[in-house]
Amino acid sequence: MGVVMPLNAETAQARTHQVVNEDSTDIALFVRSSQDDMLGWNRQRIVDALLRETFIDRGTAEKISKDIELTIQAGKVKTITGPLIREMVNAKLLEMGLEEARRMHTRLGVPLYDVDQLLVQHNKENANVPHGPEATNLTLAEGIKKEYALLSVFTPDVADAHLSGDLHLHDLGFIDRPYCSGQSLEYIKKFGLNLPHALSMAKPAKHAEVLLAHMVKFAASLQSHFAGAIGWDAINLFYAPYLEELDDNGVKQLAQMMIYEFSQQAVARGGQAIFSDVNIYWEVPKHFEDVPAIGPGGEYTGKTYREYEKQAQRFAWALFEVYKEGDAAGRPFFFPKPLVHITEKFFKTDGHMDFLHHICEVASVKGNTYFVFDRGDTAKISECCRLSFKLEASDIEDAKQPWKMRYSALQNVTINLPRLAFKAQGDDTKLFALLTEKIQLAAKAHGQKKKFIERLMSLGKGGPLSLLAMDLDGEPYLKLHRCSYLIGMVGLNELIRVHLGQELHDSDASIKFGLKVIAHMNIVCNKLAESMGMKFVLEQTPAESTSFRFAKLDLAHFNAEAEKVVQGNREKGEVYYSNSTLFNVGATMSPIARVEKEGLFHPLIEAGSITHIWLGEAQPDKAALASFVINVFKYTQNDQIAFSPEFTACLECGKTSRGLSETCPYCESKNVDGITRITGYFTKISSWNKGKLGELHDRYRNIDRFNN
Amino acid sequence: MLKPQASGSCNLAACLPPIKGFLETSFIDWPGKLCAILFVGGCNFRCPFCHNHPLVLAPEGMATIAFAEIMSRLAARRNWLAGVCISGGEPTLSPGLPTMIARLKAEGWAVKLDTNGTRPEVLAQLLDDNLLDMVAMDVKTVLVQEKYERCAGCRVDLGAIRQSMDLLSHSGIPHEFRMTIAPTLHTEEDVVAWAKQFDRVRSRLTLQNFNPKTTLDVLFEKEQGFAPEIFSRLADMVAGKDTGQI
Repeated sequence: MGVVMPLNAETAQARTHQVVNEDSTDIALFVRSSQDDMLGWNRQRIVDALLRETFIDRGTAEKISKDIELTIQAGKVKTITGPLIREMVNAKLLEMGLEEARRMHTRLGVPLYDVDQLLVQHNKENANVPHGPEATNLTLAEGIKKEYALLSVFTPDVADAHLSGDLHLHDLGFIDRPYCSGQSLEYIKKFGLNLPHALSMAKPAKHAEVLLAHMVKFAASLQSHFAGAIGWDAINLFYAPYLEELDDNGVKQLAQMMIYEFSQQAVARGGQAIFSDVNIYWEVPKHFEDVPAIGPGGEYTGKTYREYEKQAQRFAWALFEVYKEGDAAGRPFFFPKPLVHITEKFFKTDGHMDFLHHICEVASVKGNTYFVFDRGDTAKISECCRLSFKLEASDIEDAKQPWKMRYSALQNVTINLPRLAFKAQGDDTKLFALLTEKIQLAAKAHGQKKKFIERLMSLGKGGPLSLLAMDLDGEPYLKLHRCSYLIGMVGLNELIRVHLGQELHDSDASIKFGLKVIAHMNIVCNKLAESMGMKFVLEQTPAESTSFRFAKLDLAHFNAEAEKVVQGNREKGEVYYSNSTLFNVGATMSPIARVEKEGLFHPLIEAGSITHIWLGEAQPDKAALASFVINVFKYTQNDQIAFSPEFTACLECGKTSRGLSETCPYCESKNVDGITRITGYFTKISSWNKGKLGELHDRYRNIDRFNN
Repeated sequence: MLKPQASGSCNLAACLPPIKGFLETSFIDWPGKLCAILFVGGCNFRCPFCHNHPLVLAPEGMATIAFAEIMSRLAARRNWLAGVCISGGEPTLSPGLPTMIARLKAEGWAVKLDTNGTRPEVLAQLLDDNLLDMVAMDVKTVLVQEKYERCAGCRVDLGAIRQSMDLLSHSGIPHEFRMTIAPTLHTEEDVVAWAKQFDRVRSRLTLQNFNPKTTLDVLFEKEQGFAPEIFSRLADMVAGKDTGQI
């Protein structure tokens, strides 16, 4: 089977013979190489390429080149290009049974037809990528890097498992970058903006606004070195030493600048906004209380962070005032996502109820707030759609020098759970054996990516990952030995449905079995972590397009079984599997039951989980939400929740209204865009893939009161 | 969500209000509180804009949920819920209402009642017996016979409505008067006059905009609510936000 993944599967068949130029009257046979040079025909070039790129012997290479020359001379081809010759050589290699040589001699590229489609049509794999020249650059580059990864970074068994949909290797187009990064503002506060290859270097900021400028630029450079989210720890606390010079208006202004800067950054890589998260604390987290604070000019202020509680709170409050207002049209800001940590200390800190009501009002009005629950002594830094890093003893040690705190997951691999159930045919032993096998394969994939990144990193500051090799604090920015490797899951609910005939919400027995599956994943991860010396952790994959891709592939390859369990609308092709361990989004469950029951899975999923509560049009009471949040902390094991309202933004009159409507309630224009959370962030619904559209339609919004 | 059960053979159920729907968690029905809602079947109004019309027109066709089942579901949510809201339909039409509320109160639940105010004697008794913690009364429009009857879709005893308004205003418990407004039924002057008959210090006032989704009178599905700007201006005025009162 071909390992080349077409950018657009539907059009893969349609490519061909564009290279023959019928009108050419030029009698000379020439080669147009990839450098756009016109070169006279030279058989030797084929021989050179084969010897350089593959392991075949000179005699065979000579023979192939002569055969090709004969074919060309005998044929009517007037214009021949380098890529065409290469394909002819490949055909020859295949004919001779030299499969491995053919693989090594492969040319990566994109069919003309696909490029044309791509330049004109919108790629919806990631709703955070708009349509434009930068976006198509990104997609083209990603396409080639993806092929490269599948051919060259991963072994064929891993690549085949990805292509067939047994598992999903995330962000293959970003094969030469780690997955995501969480860090501390202290790094740029202490070292200024001093990036490798930068045209100028800046000393540590003296003023809050300059610090913001450094932060945004640093985030943008990180975005070009990581595939996914860029998270910032305790942002309000680390800004605090810069805020003493500002009055309340100044602080609000700074908050506004920060949110607008990040939400309007859709001008960098691929025209993509930086997927950014800011972690916010009302209290001074215990591990920072006695840490000496760094202030203007990168100097120690002589105080500890404990003394900056009030300044940090001022900034936190102001940030949420800005979120509450929304953008100029009253829409919610998409980025940066604010993650508020609810901890034991939160409840012991003065003013926490006012702040809780404040952020609950934002949750109700605009939906931005993420409530992250750190119970007991847990401390976390959260980013991405749900990813979080639990801080371990060594991290708490690092916390004394917070610029050292940076966390990265190198890659994310997701396992297609329903397919395992199709294959197990009701046999528990077989199911768990298959699951183990896939986790082992995922771990193998992680090992291969690790090796590849190590190779790039070994080139040091002169290599492609110079930013990650930068060692201003004595260690490379990317601490490879401390990276996590994520193992995700899609469709636990459908696995259960195939295996037990019930969905997760149907019975306690199905929840119990679901817990067994995830616990097994956890145990296998831990065992592999020990034997391979890599930190494998479970994560609830955001699976924005993976839940769609798996469902589609299973309908194609396991149709009889899959059509009974895929969710969504099959006629419209809007099919999906339930994300990760989430319950059926359409199940009539009260929000309490959902946070409780979904929360049962969260302690098993170390790298982060979330429960969504879809609000639709309803604008809940902030005090009711606050009491709900407190109870989630007190009475459940749930890791994180977010409330998601829906909006209609009118492109005609520019006004934003509540709920999803086909026409603008203000001006009745049909030129509207719906806005709500896709998987872990807000976007315009017009950019969603079909699977997620199916899910949106099914979401239960806590209004179905009579079961009709 | 609890599935209603087909049989209602229990004797006790016969004397309790027929519960036709149960929403375990509402963030919007009780200001400041997370509450559960019980929907009681049967109504003496025929408001053309009503969304709960199956409860009004054909409650017999809907299965009744056993009260015992509701009580056990509620008990499991003791930590979460601050109270139980009894809505409808019109709950005060059921002779068993005081019994049901008393049983909820005996279990320690705070109770909110949604009513249209047509049964002041029931309301008075419930208030006297300290069975209510909050009441929301729909006052459909200004107290003008013809206007009120258009909104309610039937004959209305305005004296009873006025009596209920007075009872609540002087009850000393938290209460709100609310009104769903639609341009076909209400003028802006009506809304202003409506708000003027209450004392905002004592009573909370809220407006809801008409929403043309599955209405009792199908003709109303073609009607529109107030334009959002107008509605939010009226809502702010009614809530006292224009005068600095909230």
